[in-house]
Amino acid sequence: MLKLIWLVPALPLVGAAANVFLGRRLGTLGGWLASATVTGAYVLAVIALGDLLSLPDQERLHMTRLFHWIGAGSFSLDATLRVDPLSITMVLVVTGVGALIHIYSIGYMEHDPHFARFFAYLNLFVFFMLMLVLADNYLLLYLGWEGVGLCSYLLIGFWHDRPAAANAAKKAFITTRIGDAAMLLGIVLIWVHFHTLEFGNVLVSTRSSGAGALPSAGAYTAISLLLLAGAVGKSAQLPLHVWLPDAMEGPSPVSALIHAATMVTAGVYLIVRSHVLFEMSGTALTVVMVIGLCSAIYAALASIGQFDLKRALAYSTMSQIGFMFFAAGMGFYTGAMLLLVCHAFYKALLFLTSGNVMHGLNGETDMRKLGGLRQEMPVSATWFVIGALALAGIPPLAGFFAKDHIVSFAATSGRSAAWVIASIGAFLSALYIARPLFLTFFGDRRNEEHAHEAPRLMNAPLALLALGAVTAGVVLGFTAEGGVLDRFLAPVLGVADHGTHGPSEIVLLAISVGLALAAVAVAWWIWASRRVDWQAFPDRQPELAGWLANAFYINSLYAWLVQVPGKGFGRVLATIDERAIDGAVNGTGAEVRQASRIAPIIQRGFVRSYALAFLLGAAALLLFLAVRF
Amino acid sequence: MRTPIAYFLIVSAMLFSIGTVGVLVRKNALIIFMSVELQLNAVNLALVAFSRMHDSLNGQVLAFFSMVVAAAEVVVGLAIIVNVFRRRQSTSVDDAAVLRG
Repeated sequence: MLKLIWLVPALPLVGAAANVFLGRRLGTLGGWLASATVTGAYVLAVIALGDLLSLPDQERLHMTRLFHWIGAGSFSLDATLRVDPLSITMVLVVTGVGALIHIYSIGYMEHDPHFARFFAYLNLFVFFMLMLVLADNYLLLYLGWEGVGLCSYLLIGFWHDRPAAANAAKKAFITTRIGDAAMLLGIVLIWVHFHTLEFGNVLVSTRSSGAGALPSAGAYTAISLLLLAGAVGKSAQLPLHVWLPDAMEGPSPVSALIHAATMVTAGVYLIVRSHVLFEMSGTALTVVMVIGLCSAIYAALASIGQFDLKRALAYSTMSQIGFMFFAAGMGFYTGAMLLLVCHAFYKALLFLTSGNVMHGLNGETDMRKLGGLRQEMPVSATWFVIGALALAGIPPLAGFFAKDHIVSFAATSGRSAAWVIASIGAFLSALYIARPLFLTFFGDRRNEEHAHEAPRLMNAPLALLALGAVTAGVVLGFTAEGGVLDRFLAPVLGVADHGTHGPSEIVLLAISVGLALAAVAVAWWIWASRRVDWQAFPDRQPELAGWLANAFYINSLYAWLVQVPGKGFGRVLATIDERAIDGAVNGTGAEVRQASRIAPIIQRGFVRSYALAFLLGAAALLLFLAVRF
Repeated sequence: MRTPIAYFLIVSAMLFSIGTVGVLVRKNALIIFMSVELQLNAVNLALVAFSRMHDSLNGQVLAFFSMVVAAAEVVVGLAIIVNVFRRRQSTSVDDAAVLRG
């Protein structure tokens, strides 16, 4: 099966092609076909996982050379797929969660006139994402990386007749482009220093003599920071995060699949995959940690200020990915991966449930107009409760294990300051996710409209995601050291040194759980108990509410920084256009018109005068010839 | 004894001049047309005369060609004149001056 791993990305590609060329004829069948290809890819990946597990620990690596890709002078590159524990973990997340979201979308997009186009994009996205995680060299990874960026653009702007969606799509593409450009430079630097782009040759910390010396620490730092810039753009971390909240203009399944579960975690994957480079640099790893921690806290505060359900969830995604960056920055890569897997489950669940709410209430996402929906949408309410509690870190749900391992790791490895900040982040994350839960499904109804529960076709995939959100933590990471995922990934990522600093594990555990429960209780008291007039808060504290709701005005700052010089430059160009270019064109026209006033003097329209001109001309010519010869 | 070439050329030049003056001064398209034919025939005469002078048939052959072309031209030209007349009830070339600048 490992030899046939190319089928895993090929299947969704076939699905995309079928939906592009036959979409109109297939109708709803196209959606089922798309779901079937991703499900098929998932089944193949599970079989591949079985094959991989049957090998001894250190031999769990299989390369499939597809074809010679690029040969130019000394630059030669094969398109090779790499199956190892890390890539198969990502493949399982992408295809597993992806398949469920595909099936959900059949119900969600049922009445959309561009049903086939939606599934073509969705399948194409899965194809590129699989290329990204299965690639064995940085250039093939970059191909997938740009491909998912393209699909993200297409899907955010899926309803391109809405100006907001079209603008959000452009914003996402351009913002991530900034990071991607840096990443491409990083890849070029890798080539300059290593003369190869293959993971097997780049990602080694020691090299046998004869193969050339390792680059200097400065080179490692430069490469790592450039790759990090790409990761920051794709994963919506500070300072390139501004596109993610706007990306919520896309359909809810897109938010679930691309902007929560898979694509935005590509940055985490890139860092974890390239961890050798980051470790050789050292500095770069610290930068990852700081960016992650800042993003986690920043996004948590911003999420609390949002009144749009999906925007609140978008900031929570950013915050969670901040935690993953934080873990990776501490060298706790398996912890980052565990959170990635668990987050994929519960965040997809939360986004799809918000899709249910929109489906049941004509697209309403303003939480001030929701509330008390648990009576009319009991099933969706259950899903949201599970997802929110999993994210909040209530044991024994998935998020508890994943987040607790990371926070505890900060303490036991002796990073006390980071531990305190991360604990605050964990408290805030429980607070910001309990808030939409209570505002949407509990408290008073603030909407006259009748809500209806989502159809079974949409709730069935949610049940499986909820199952994952409940059990993933217990199954994959019951203990921080030596959990199932930890041991599985150890051959690729190494074993992290947990250390023995700080308070004992039981104390840390108690603090984590205590913080999560306290946050949920506070959230309940404020937003559901009716004892606090939260709706009047923005009027009483307009400053603070404004800072939170506008995410500390970073978006406005960027807009100002780009707009003011941009508009000035535009004005200069407009002047040049009007005066110089238009002037030249219009001047030419005016001159020609002026000149044409002279022409009628000789162009009288009388054949006679023309004939006379002929005659005189011929006579003159003859005279000239006669004189000359 | 051959007739001197100069006689032919004088006749030819006279014919051509008459044709040229006709083209330039007359307004009736048909008359202009006839004048053009006169010019053509003047040239034909000159061709044949030179042909004889040089004892070569080339000039005569060329004269035949120009007659054939003139015949074809008459067909087209008359058709145009007839059509212009139908449209404007006039064959005066001064009336057909819409292309003046």
